[in-house]
Amino acid sequence: MARTLTKTVPERAAAAPAEAAGPAARRGRRGWRGWRDAGARLTMVAPALVLYVGLLVVPVGYAVYYSFTDYNGFPQQIPEFIGWENYQRVFQSADITDSMVVTGTIALVGAILVNAAALGLALLLQRTGGFTTFGRVVMFYPHVLSALVVGFLWQAILGPQGVVNTMLEKAGRSSMPFLSDPTWALWTLIFVISWSLFGVQLVLYLAGLQTVPADLVEAARIDGAGRWQTFRAVTWPALAPTFSVALITSGISLLKTYDVVVSLTGGGPAGSTQTLAYSILAVSFPGRQIGLASAEAVVLIIAAAILAFTVLALRRRAEEGAESIG
Amino acid sequence: MTRSSRPATALRVAFLGVLCLFMLIPLYLLVINAFKSQQDILTNPFTIDLSRATTEYLGAAWNSPEFSIPKGYAITLALLVCVNVLSIGLCVPAAHVLARTPRPLFRAILMFFVAGMFIPTQVILIPVIFVLRGLGLMSTFPGLVLFMTATTVPFTLFVFTGFVRVLPRALDEAAAIDGAGRHYTVWRIIFPLMRPIVATAFILNSLSVWNDFASPQVILGPGSGIYTVTTGVYAAVGQYSADYTRVFPTLLLAVIPILVIFVATQRHLMRGLAAGSVKG
Repeated sequence: MARTLTKTVPERAAAAPAEAAGPAARRGRRGWRGWRDAGARLTMVAPALVLYVGLLVVPVGYAVYYSFTDYNGFPQQIPEFIGWENYQRVFQSADITDSMVVTGTIALVGAILVNAAALGLALLLQRTGGFTTFGRVVMFYPHVLSALVVGFLWQAILGPQGVVNTMLEKAGRSSMPFLSDPTWALWTLIFVISWSLFGVQLVLYLAGLQTVPADLVEAARIDGAGRWQTFRAVTWPALAPTFSVALITSGISLLKTYDVVVSLTGGGPAGSTQTLAYSILAVSFPGRQIGLASAEAVVLIIAAAILAFTVLALRRRAEEGAESIG
Repeated sequence: MTRSSRPATALRVAFLGVLCLFMLIPLYLLVINAFKSQQDILTNPFTIDLSRATTEYLGAAWNSPEFSIPKGYAITLALLVCVNVLSIGLCVPAAHVLARTPRPLFRAILMFFVAGMFIPTQVILIPVIFVLRGLGLMSTFPGLVLFMTATTVPFTLFVFTGFVRVLPRALDEAAAIDGAGRHYTVWRIIFPLMRPIVATAFILNSLSVWNDFASPQVILGPGSGIYTVTTGVYAAVGQYSADYTRVFPTLLLAVIPILVIFVATQRHLMRGLAAGSVKG
C-alpha cells in the first residue's frame, strides 16, 4: 500500500503515456463522439472544480485585485485603484517588514527544528513494539490538541507568572523572560510551534523509513558499514522524497503561523512575534485596511509558491543526478 | 533481533523515556492545575494537594456562558462530517476521470488543482469573506463547510488521482462491458477499492478541520452564535489568560474528548496517515 503511493510524480507521469494507448483514448480522439465523451467526463470534474475555483482561486484573484486598491471593506465603498502603493507600504513599513523577518525566521528555524526532531525520532521509533507505539502516540498527541490550545497551555507554563517561573522563584533563582523579552519570545514561539507540529512529520518519516530496502541495509551491514555510513548511503537516499514532502508541508504550515501567536504571545512583546498571517488577520483586517492586508497576503502566497517550487526543483535535480549515476 | 548491543538499546529506551516524559509534562500540568485554586496554582504549580483539590472550577468552565463544550463539540463534529462527505463525494468521481483521461486538457486541470495545495489558506480568508457575502453565506455554517471543503479539495483530489492511476484499468472495462454507467462504476467498483486512501484523506482533512481556528473565527464571527471547539476556547480563555482557574479547566475539558478519541483510534489513525502521507 504505502509502496504504491510512494511513486514519485515523474514516475506517474511516465506511466501515463502507456495509458494513452488504452481503448478510451482511441475512442476519445474520434471527433464528435469523442467531444461528447469529454463533455460527460467534464461534468464529473465540474462540481469539484466549481468549488475550488469559487472559494480558493477567485479569492486569490480578489486578493491580487484588492492589493492594488484602497478599500475599507464596506460594501458601499468602491475599491479605489492606487497602483503599487500598498506594496510600497508593505516593504517600507517597519512593522510589516519586521513581521516578514519574523515569519521567515519561524519558517527557516522551525523547519530545521521540526525536521531534525521528526527524523531523529523516526529513526529511534522505527522498530515496532509496545514501547515505540507508546512513544509515537506521545510524540503525536500535541497535534490533536490544536495549535490554539497548545499556545494557551504553554502561555500558562512559560508566562511571567507561569509554572516554570514560579518554580524558579521557589528555588531562589531569578525568573526567565520566556514571553516578556522580545528575543526570548520569538524563540519560545518557535519552540512551541515545533513542539505542536513535528508529530505529523514524524509519521511521514516513519512511513518513509518503511520504503528503505531492508536488503540494502543488510548488505551495507555485511560490507562493514557503520551506522552513519549506512544512514548516508542507504537510508538517506531512500528518504529523499519523504524529506522534500516533509519540508514543504512543514514550511507551509510555518509560513502561515497564526493560531499559536494569538494564544501564546498576541504578537508581543512590542510586535516581536508578529507573523505576516497575524499582521493580516489581527492588525490590517480589523483596521479595515483591506488593500494592505491583500498585498501582504499576495506576498505570503508568492513566498509559499517559491518555497514549494524550490524544494521540488531541487528534488528533481537530485533525482536526475541519482539516475545518471545509477 | 539483537541488532544493536544491549547498552545502546538501554540508552535509546532511556533517552526516549526522558523525551516522552518531557512531552507529557504540559498534559500533567494541565490535569493537576484544573483542580486547584489560583492561589494554589501560583504557589505550587507542579504538585497537587489532593485534600485541597476541587472540581469547582471545572464546573464553572463547564457552565461557561461563552463556551458550552457539548455545543462546541457538536458543531465541530458536524463540520467534520459535512466537510469530509462533501470533499470525498466531489473528489472521487473527479479523480476517476482525471486519472483515466489522458487528454492534455485533463492533465492541465489536475495541475491546476495541485497548485491549490500551496495556497496558505488562512491568508486568503479576507477575500473569501467577500465571496461568501456575495453568496449570502457569510456567518453561516454552510458557508464555513463550503470554504473548508474547498481547502481540502486540492490535496484530496491529488492523492485520489494518484491512487486510481494504479488501479487496473481492466476493472473499468469489465464494468463497461457489463453495461455499468460511469457513476455506477465509480461508486460501486472503484470507490470500495479506494478505502485506504479515503481513510488517509479522511484523517488528514479531519485533523485540519479540527485544528482550524482562523477560518471559523473569520467566517462565523462572534455574532453568529455558532462556534467550534477552537473559537469557543478562544472566547472563554482569550481575555482571561492570566486567570489560571479559567485557563486550565477550560483547556482540560476541551481536550479530554479529542484525547480519548485519539488514543482509542491511534492505531488506525497512525496507519491511515502513513498509508497515504508519502504523497510524492
